[in-house]
Amino acid sequence: MSADPLELAQRAVALAAACGADQSEATMIVSDAFSSEARGEKITKLQQSVGRSLSLRAFVGGRKATLGTTDLTPEGLEALVARCVEAARSVEHDPLGALPDPEPIGASGDLRLIEDDVRGRGEDEKLASALEMEREMRAYDPRVDNSNGSRVADALTTVALVNSLGFRGSYTASSASLSASPVVRDGEEKRTAHFGASRRGYAQMPSPAEIARVAAKRAVDMCGARKPQTGVLPVIFERDVASIVLGDLFGACSGANVAIENSFLAGRLGEKIGSDLVTIVDDGLLPGGMGTSPFDAEGVPTRKTAVFERGVLRSFLFDTYHARKLGTKSTGNAAGGTVGPNNFYLEPGTGTLEDLIARTPRGIVVYDIIGFATEHVTGTWSRGASGFMIEGGEIAYPIDGFTIAGNLREMLAAVDAVAGDVIFESPIVSPSFRVAGMTVSGT
Amino acid sequence: MSDTQTEPLSTAAIEHLLGVALERGGEYAELFFEHRLSHVLRLQEGRIHEAGVHVMRGVGIRVRVGDQQGYGYSDDLSQEALERAARVAAKIAHGGTTRSVSVSERSVESMYLPGLWSDRVAMGRRVEMLQRADAAARRFDASVRAVNANLHDEVQEVLVATSEGRLVRDRRPLVSFAVQVVAERNGERTHGYYGDGGRRGFEFYDGVTPEQIAGEAARIAVVNLDAVEAPAGELPVVVGPGGGGVLLHEAVGHGLESDFNRQGVSLYSGRVGERVASELVTIYDDGNLPGERGSVSIDDEGTPGQHKMLVEKGILRGYMQDTLNAALMHTHSTGSGRRQSFRVLPQPRMTNTYMPAGDLTADEVLRRVKRGFYAKSFAGGQVDISKGDFVFMVGEGYLIEDGRLTAPVKGATLIGNGPEIMTRVTAVGSDMRLANGSYTCGKGGQLVPVGVGLPTLLISSMTVGGSRVG
Repeated sequence: MSADPLELAQRAVALAAACGADQSEATMIVSDAFSSEARGEKITKLQQSVGRSLSLRAFVGGRKATLGTTDLTPEGLEALVARCVEAARSVEHDPLGALPDPEPIGASGDLRLIEDDVRGRGEDEKLASALEMEREMRAYDPRVDNSNGSRVADALTTVALVNSLGFRGSYTASSASLSASPVVRDGEEKRTAHFGASRRGYAQMPSPAEIARVAAKRAVDMCGARKPQTGVLPVIFERDVASIVLGDLFGACSGANVAIENSFLAGRLGEKIGSDLVTIVDDGLLPGGMGTSPFDAEGVPTRKTAVFERGVLRSFLFDTYHARKLGTKSTGNAAGGTVGPNNFYLEPGTGTLEDLIARTPRGIVVYDIIGFATEHVTGTWSRGASGFMIEGGEIAYPIDGFTIAGNLREMLAAVDAVAGDVIFESPIVSPSFRVAGMTVSGT
Repeated sequence: MSDTQTEPLSTAAIEHLLGVALERGGEYAELFFEHRLSHVLRLQEGRIHEAGVHVMRGVGIRVRVGDQQGYGYSDDLSQEALERAARVAAKIAHGGTTRSVSVSERSVESMYLPGLWSDRVAMGRRVEMLQRADAAARRFDASVRAVNANLHDEVQEVLVATSEGRLVRDRRPLVSFAVQVVAERNGERTHGYYGDGGRRGFEFYDGVTPEQIAGEAARIAVVNLDAVEAPAGELPVVVGPGGGGVLLHEAVGHGLESDFNRQGVSLYSGRVGERVASELVTIYDDGNLPGERGSVSIDDEGTPGQHKMLVEKGILRGYMQDTLNAALMHTHSTGSGRRQSFRVLPQPRMTNTYMPAGDLTADEVLRRVKRGFYAKSFAGGQVDISKGDFVFMVGEGYLIEDGRLTAPVKGATLIGNGPEIMTRVTAVGSDMRLANGSYTCGKGGQLVPVGVGLPTLLISSMTVGGSRVG
């Protein structure tokens, strides 16, 4: 049962062919994952397992079906591949439904996907980091009197891909993350915050103490927050929140949405959409990036694609199917049956978040948002938010219980300042940036 | 396929594994076996675009010592691999004594309406349902430009065994049919979304037809073509019946899950018996509604589902408990321990959360509002359980002027504070109904199907997060 991932993928491809598929592609993902949580002075969760799953895409004369399974027994796999190929026969013929044309993987240099300390670090040391974050949060301020837990997690993940046109490749990547979530007492109320970091390895990470302090500061600084007045104001998105906004924009840049016209960017290639500060890139080859890999989920080599250049929409991001549909080529962004980010980011400017605040006579800076109201087809965007009122270029007081609303297209055009503080800790990241005016709904 | 999984593990093997899990002296051990077979069929641009088959099969083993949990899982069901998972889980405990475990099977009452199990349904029937939905949406209005439809169904077989001797099995049907429609007029595009289903068999769609589901999605898309920008600021808000129940799920429900309350991180911690809402507010969470999307014959810890009163006339009556938090709070599980799959630990979760009917007609509720906002349905929501601030995203909304619905309003986010909003409930309609079965809760990143229900409700003031100021 501990068969080589490439061999299991190869076997699934052979089974599909035997069932009558004229093309197929199989991916084995094997992830050895550790996770732990501390609360107070105790380890409250400890988990370690190897998860394995196989996914298969089979084409029968331009009809596509997929299979995902954790049942990897020989008899289970055989029956499921047969069921998958049979299901394909219910799908309508699509002339574009086929594997990507073979394309050699170029020499991409060292992508720095593995850091040895994920494997090398002992369990005791990881648990000590979780406990240290719990202590440091409480030491920061007496109002920190509880927590939602501090977490340390890591994984070593192998991806093996084989297709019936002769592609055969695999890579292994490591990841590690630390996070802390304090609860503070604010008079009769409770407040919480969350702060964490992810990297390819532990050595690249801020220290547990530093993560705990930032988390505690974020919760404590919000004490006494009130609702702001309704109005239109400049809005600064702090790095973590800015990354979420960029994630919403990714949806509109995805060729899967553009191809079905479920994007406000559809049909606007070459147009000036954003301000001059908006240069957005997807780079699958960024060394050490959390979205870096030599090839995408279809075995297409990853690359660097300019999506926006100084506000001008240059390219959408594609897997093979949606690229064919719009008469173009894959950008190496296939993921999980659709289009996904590699390292999708807003090109950083200069200076810090503090510099942005100092350059804002009146406005708000947002540190946290909740909700997920984004309509890709119109660009309509709104979220619940919390953060600080800025007066005279300085933080004046904390604010919460309000919403910010706008339209992604208008927001891109109104980006008037970008900081230089981007960190590549997830596949979609952004530096802090400012939007000249958005509707703030409070009292 | 499903037939191969009827006897994955013998009773002797289960008892042995629970014994291995307790080797280092844990207080409680649990084994969760799952085999889930799902089918997905997707229609896009007028044709059947993709078919999918998914299987989740594996075992998760948990050991508990006080509030400490160890967990290991394996998709490899060989004895060697399962023992490895049990030993990983055992690591949380230190230096106790080994003990032997014996389990005996008990039966449970089914809360599902399986009828025609989906693993017996031919693909042709699924294809026909999608094609009927596509045709119905396009017939609805000339402005309908694109139709996407998804049919998802599954059969999940679960076995739970615990060191307390319990062994229970459950076989859970789930069907879900959802349609998204894009409408276009004068270059403006809008969309509408609607779905329905439950823990039922395929015959559900003989009653609630693909035409009805697609028609509702098309109606919402077309209504939104005339939508105006949402207002910004504080307004009276009327929440519509059925899907408006997302309000209860976010504003109150999550705050009453026992993990947050045992840990003292919820604003409702330690407040049983206290007033937390207006006396018009009563809230139930009910896992025993036959065939509903959130119902459970047993939860994912083997406890039968229950009908629970959470809030009675504004007074907090109790929390939703899983086994871990119930043990630590010296009470019993309410059948609320749920998980996405064998790869993760269970958490206390909602099932079907609703408010019973009041005594006003919906019209009487609306007539109390001179200028306000009507939220007919929500596209989703999220809450911060410490502070109680929550948002929800409006799927279909209207302005209220002089007690009547007027212009439809474009996607807005409403924001409120749970306890504050619950004290502002000033009128409750008699039109309670459960929402269409299309809601999924994502607590802690784990997706589980849930149900919601609500009568028409008036909240005297709430912040509407639109973009139109003044």
